[in-house]
Amino acid sequence: MEEELQSKATTMEATLRKKQQAMLDRLANRHQNRPKSTITDDSTSSSTAFSSKFSDSKRSVESQLAELPTLSDSCHLKSRLAEISSEISSLEQLVAESSYFLPSYDLRAALKSISDLKQSLEKLISELLPKKKFSFKNKSASKNVHTEPRETAKAEKSNPIITIPESPGFRNKQNEVLTKNFRGSEIGEFTISDLDSCEVRLIGSVRAAFINRLRNCKVYGGPVTGSILMEDVENCVFVLASHQIRIHCAKRCDFYVRVRSRPIIEDCGGLRFAPYCLKYDGIGDDLKEAGLDEESGNWSNVDDFKWLRAAQSPNWSVLDEGERVGSIQIEVLDNGNGKG
Amino acid sequence: MGLLSIIRKIKRKEKEMRILMVGLDNSGKTTIVLKINGEDTSVISPTLGFNIKTINYQKYTLNIWDVGGQKTIRSYWRNYFEQTDGLVWVVDSSDLRRLDDCKMELDNLLKEERLSGASLLILANKQDIKGALTPEEIARVLNLENMDKTRHWKIVGCSAYTGSGLLEGFDWLVQDIASRIYVLD
Repeated sequence: MEEELQSKATTMEATLRKKQQAMLDRLANRHQNRPKSTITDDSTSSSTAFSSKFSDSKRSVESQLAELPTLSDSCHLKSRLAEISSEISSLEQLVAESSYFLPSYDLRAALKSISDLKQSLEKLISELLPKKKFSFKNKSASKNVHTEPRETAKAEKSNPIITIPESPGFRNKQNEVLTKNFRGSEIGEFTISDLDSCEVRLIGSVRAAFINRLRNCKVYGGPVTGSILMEDVENCVFVLASHQIRIHCAKRCDFYVRVRSRPIIEDCGGLRFAPYCLKYDGIGDDLKEAGLDEESGNWSNVDDFKWLRAAQSPNWSVLDEGERVGSIQIEVLDNGNGKG
Repeated sequence: MGLLSIIRKIKRKEKEMRILMVGLDNSGKTTIVLKINGEDTSVISPTLGFNIKTINYQKYTLNIWDVGGQKTIRSYWRNYFEQTDGLVWVVDSSDLRRLDDCKMELDNLLKEERLSGASLLILANKQDIKGALTPEEIARVLNLENMDKTRHWKIVGCSAYTGSGLLEGFDWLVQDIASRIYVLD
């Protein structure tokens, strides 16, 4: 398997390299086939050519600005103003195009004279053109704005609302010990949500677990053969084993985990990680069946989506051995759904 | 029109298709890609970034872009939109709580102009988990019937765990793209 992968990788690499080479060849061809005329163009775009061109058009703008106050016809004045402002903007464009070869002093000087020209133009406009009175206009466009939301509202109404059945789980509890035995049950996914100061004990294995909005809770669980998805938990302790673990928006929590892949955290802070330490009768078999009997060491390979750097993320750390709980022992209840 | 015919010609020669896999985190995108390629799916870490897989499928070469679904990196999905022939939207059918998120993200995606020509395959994944919604229910939640009429789409229930439904979905996708891009031969 590994060899096959490797050979695949090398052939892929080879094709990649070939593609890249072809691209480079094409690029080289394009470069050689470029018409010679462009080279002569390049030589003219020197800084002296620029400065003479720039100063010419600058002078023309200045003289036009100077004769503006002498014009009396307001219509004519407006068109002249528009011409001048477009001339200034073409001057700006010239500077922008030449900026890559201009010395920085020349560039600054050019930009300065452009802004001076703009200012004097604005000043002249405010002196020569009377301001319009401000007023609201009744635009026909506002009609459309009114009808649109109604249409979307209708569309939403016609969308059939389906009632989603609640999945098995523990919800909305405070100060309780909640125990569930999955052995012999047909439960696929299990939800733990909106708990405060509770202890949750899960025995046996389950396919998927969703954990949301817990405060000050302890959650002890047997193996999850799929994934655990967790969001918005604070001041909690988790002892969990799973193929995948995703932790979102967790604050100040301790995780004793065994994971086949790398656990990930996102928008978290103050998390500490340690190896899995749960014990109950028959947990060895449960773990083995779930493919989680061996410690992968991934409990300390945490990927932080909010910290994509090589240095250690400030959002999580390894829990000091001296501060770990040792091991957690929970009782297996026969009826499964008992409340301790 | 000239450019389009050139692109068509090139694509016909290479018989390549570019497929973008997206969906919320934990929906099973990477597992699906590896499963289709016949690889081991027992150890898969959540995708930090993206994976590219080139798979020979029937007589075509699929370039599959599997992009991570975590919230932080969803904003980067747009970087992969260009020249997408097929879009695969993967749904965790057992994640009832986030179906609204799922709908919202899909709606946003379908507004994207660069994806407007792409065939859309919706995979209602994790059908093997008891309590998962059926593809019909997912279709209703996502309001697929009211989709833009010009869009080619199909929803298929699947399980990346057992592999069921995956080939059915990809067969449709590849056929649909082929009939759009290549002259049927």
